[in-house]
Amino acid sequence: MEVREHRDDLVRRLPALRLVFLIVVALIASCYWLVQVVHGTFYRERAENNRLRKAAIQAPRGLIYDRHGRLLVENIPSYRLLFDRSRSADFDASIRFASQVLDRPADDLQRVLERARGASVYKPVLLAEDLALAQVARFSVEALEHPEFEIDVEHLRLYRHGPTTAHVLGYLGEATDRELQLAAGELGAGDLVGRRGIESRRDSYLRGRDGERVVVVDSRGRLREEYGNRQAFSGRDLQLALDLDLQEEAARYFENRVGAAIALDPRNGEILAFASSPSYNPNVFARRLDRDQWQNIVEAPNDPLQNRAVQNTYSPGSVFKIVVAVAGLEEAVVNEKDRVFCRGATRIYNRRFRCWKAAGHGSVNLHQAIRESCDVFFYHLGQKLGIEKIAHYARLFGLGGTTGIDLEGEKRGLVPDLEWSLKARGEPWYPGETISVAIGQGPLLVTPLQMASLMAVFANGGYRIEPHLVARDGTAPRREVAVGRASLEVVRKALWAVVNDRGTGASARLRNVDIAGKTGTVQVVEQKAWIDSSELPFEKRDHAWFGSFAPAEDAELVVVVFVEHGGKGSEAAAPLARNLYEKYFNGADGARDLS
Amino acid sequence: MLATFPDQQLTVRHLGGVRWGLLASAILLALIGLATIHSASSELALDYLPKQALRIVLGLVAFAIAFSLDYQVLAKFSVPIYAAAMFLLVLVLVIGSEAGGARSWLRVGAAQLQPSDIAKLATILLLARYLAGINRRFVRIPQILAACGITALPVLLVALERDLGGAAMFVPILAGMLLVSGVRWRVLVAGALVLLVLGALVWNFAMLDYQRTRVKTFLSPGSDPLNAGYQLQQSKIAVGSGMLIGRGYMQGTQSQLRFLPARHTDFIFAVLAEEWGFLGVLAVLVLFSSYIMNGFAVALRARDRTAILLVVGFLSLVSFHVVYNTAMVVGLVPITGIPLPFLSYGGSFIVANFIAAGLILGIDFRRYVNR
Repeated sequence: MEVREHRDDLVRRLPALRLVFLIVVALIASCYWLVQVVHGTFYRERAENNRLRKAAIQAPRGLIYDRHGRLLVENIPSYRLLFDRSRSADFDASIRFASQVLDRPADDLQRVLERARGASVYKPVLLAEDLALAQVARFSVEALEHPEFEIDVEHLRLYRHGPTTAHVLGYLGEATDRELQLAAGELGAGDLVGRRGIESRRDSYLRGRDGERVVVVDSRGRLREEYGNRQAFSGRDLQLALDLDLQEEAARYFENRVGAAIALDPRNGEILAFASSPSYNPNVFARRLDRDQWQNIVEAPNDPLQNRAVQNTYSPGSVFKIVVAVAGLEEAVVNEKDRVFCRGATRIYNRRFRCWKAAGHGSVNLHQAIRESCDVFFYHLGQKLGIEKIAHYARLFGLGGTTGIDLEGEKRGLVPDLEWSLKARGEPWYPGETISVAIGQGPLLVTPLQMASLMAVFANGGYRIEPHLVARDGTAPRREVAVGRASLEVVRKALWAVVNDRGTGASARLRNVDIAGKTGTVQVVEQKAWIDSSELPFEKRDHAWFGSFAPAEDAELVVVVFVEHGGKGSEAAAPLARNLYEKYFNGADGARDLS
Repeated sequence: MLATFPDQQLTVRHLGGVRWGLLASAILLALIGLATIHSASSELALDYLPKQALRIVLGLVAFAIAFSLDYQVLAKFSVPIYAAAMFLLVLVLVIGSEAGGARSWLRVGAAQLQPSDIAKLATILLLARYLAGINRRFVRIPQILAACGITALPVLLVALERDLGGAAMFVPILAGMLLVSGVRWRVLVAGALVLLVLGALVWNFAMLDYQRTRVKTFLSPGSDPLNAGYQLQQSKIAVGSGMLIGRGYMQGTQSQLRFLPARHTDFIFAVLAEEWGFLGVLAVLVLFSSYIMNGFAVALRARDRTAILLVVGFLSLVSFHVVYNTAMVVGLVPITGIPLPFLSYGGSFIVANFIAAGLILGIDFRRYVNR
């Protein structure tokens, strides 16, 4: 067959190919001989001197300022001591030296090192943090004798005003595994990310991008080659709408109280003061927390990490009456002339509902009922409106929904209605509950921030604003509330009277500023009789509200104060509002001119 | 398929005469690779050893299947096999995943498949069938061009995946098979010239910057110390510091300190050279030579053209990978992603290598039967 004949042609060149392969392999082998055996010592030495170091160049995080450009958060350098075991000629001598410079017992340092045992020998161990400059200098001077020590600069976040701004700013914490995954390469293990507050919400804006330095150092730690640097880009700075003076004033007021206060500009939603008490010192998070410190914060009474202004919900109390009043006027179930006689209590649905004033208010119209916060008037108004109408207006004013503030974890609160009752509780709504809701009690729940946003609608003539902490350029978005201007005006006038005309908010009064406001007192436990809350144990005392704005005619500032178990709104909450207005309008620095 | 030829039954008796040395070398190399991969990856978060071990087992299964297949039947189906391989290459261009700048992987469930490994085998199969049919002392130029055409298609497709190293590996296959099937020397020289011109064209128009940089770096190592030059330098330091007897298993500072890039794949030989020294290098080269020599023996005693051409194709593939990879690690040729057969970490490549071994031994097994 043909195949057989031509097989030999094919085989002819095989031995030559085989020879070529063997020659090539021999050549390669001789090359290895050359590199490994002839020049082996040269390469072995180079390998010894080969110490590749990759060091992150930390990108400074953006700074945060208040509205007047005062620094709230800055970065301060902190020097850390690293110890490279592989470069230490005499381990004990190294420890002795470090112990002497750091003024710490050698045993102490040994323990730190023991904890790091198991990690690669070539990876430097963090021996001490927060070195004094003199100590840094000592290690630098002795660098030749002790190449095993390395100084590393780290930028720590310093919150200049500590607890005062903690709930606004938040703090930094090490990124969790999940965050690392989500960040897809933008974050490395051990990187810090914002936790809570603005630090968290604007994390990527503030963060910047770390750079990297790749260097090869020899066995004695001397720089041999530098394999390029990736530049670090620092984070962008941020200016808040916050006014540090007002913030400090609010924080001072809350030193021994629990609660929250918000001051915002009703024209654009800028938040000038935002306090939640108790607070915590965010600077303790700047370094890895030890268990005790964390425990202290977590177990502190009243949960300091909780941001009461947006994360806690409470009954709005009498402040809610302004919503019911508008609802009544809009639905025409009440007019300005209608009067109700209050004798200290009234009977509705066969149940007795008490007014806060045992002696009764006598005959009151809507204006007087708001001014003196007459419960009986609103019981009857609530009964006429019914829960669905009340809920409708409450939602128009933004209750039961988030305000859109640039913070995380904002609660929606609760505006109860018939549907909610069936769905959430599985039982029908009781008409008697409507009566409670009409004066801001019952299942109705709001956050202090929602109350500030509610007051803003009355302050600015009918617009819902988006409260925000970060200063914005240009006008802020605002939404018109679908209620008549006239109804708002009636309520606004009554609110002025609350403070200035023998009303419940007289304690907020200022001589040269027209403040309008509404007090609220929330019963914590049901009381059978008229008892002064201050005689009860703390946790049973009433919550105090004060919602307000000023100047009444053309408001620039809304202030809402909430004091947990503070007692009466007029006594516990209104004074802080007054202080804030005082600061804002008559500030010692004369910043405001009230001509 | 064992019994396709009724005139002469294959029996267990015939198994004894097969060149088992080839398989033994392959298995030994794979085991050495396994140990080295363990050393190279133990510093990483996850050890690659279990995965590679599984792949070797898979490779042995693939070997057994390839061994049992009749190469004549395979040659008969070479066109559809080739077509299927080309389809996979196109598919990878569309839905493939990227790794190290090349888009050359297909994800099949949890496994990664590099279709260029399959394409190499398919191309060898088709070339063997085509060249076997020519059956003259010297191959004529149109036939050479046809063979070039068969090779050019996968080369082009793999090059489009930006895997230039992988694309280049088809050339020695073609060269080896053409050489054996009878190309006049003067044609060979002319061909080399054409390749040179083509190379210049590719350099100027088809290559990406980083690929050019690699070649340039090779020609003058100081020019780009950060990337390609760095790799070369670190690899050479690793190899050199192994000296005669090596630093010992898992003691290589170069590899343990992570100076070596791709040390479990393309630079696995550098890890081995550092830890086992020149003696280790020599041992592996001897094992590869044993594989190739056994292969040549199979080719020399094969009875038909298809068989010889197939074996030559497989041997070209394996030997060129070995030569290029070991030369690259010691800095003799530019760095490009060429893995070392049986040793480098990688799924489809090691399976493809075991398939090639199975086919070679299958040819040997059938040497009295087929004609």
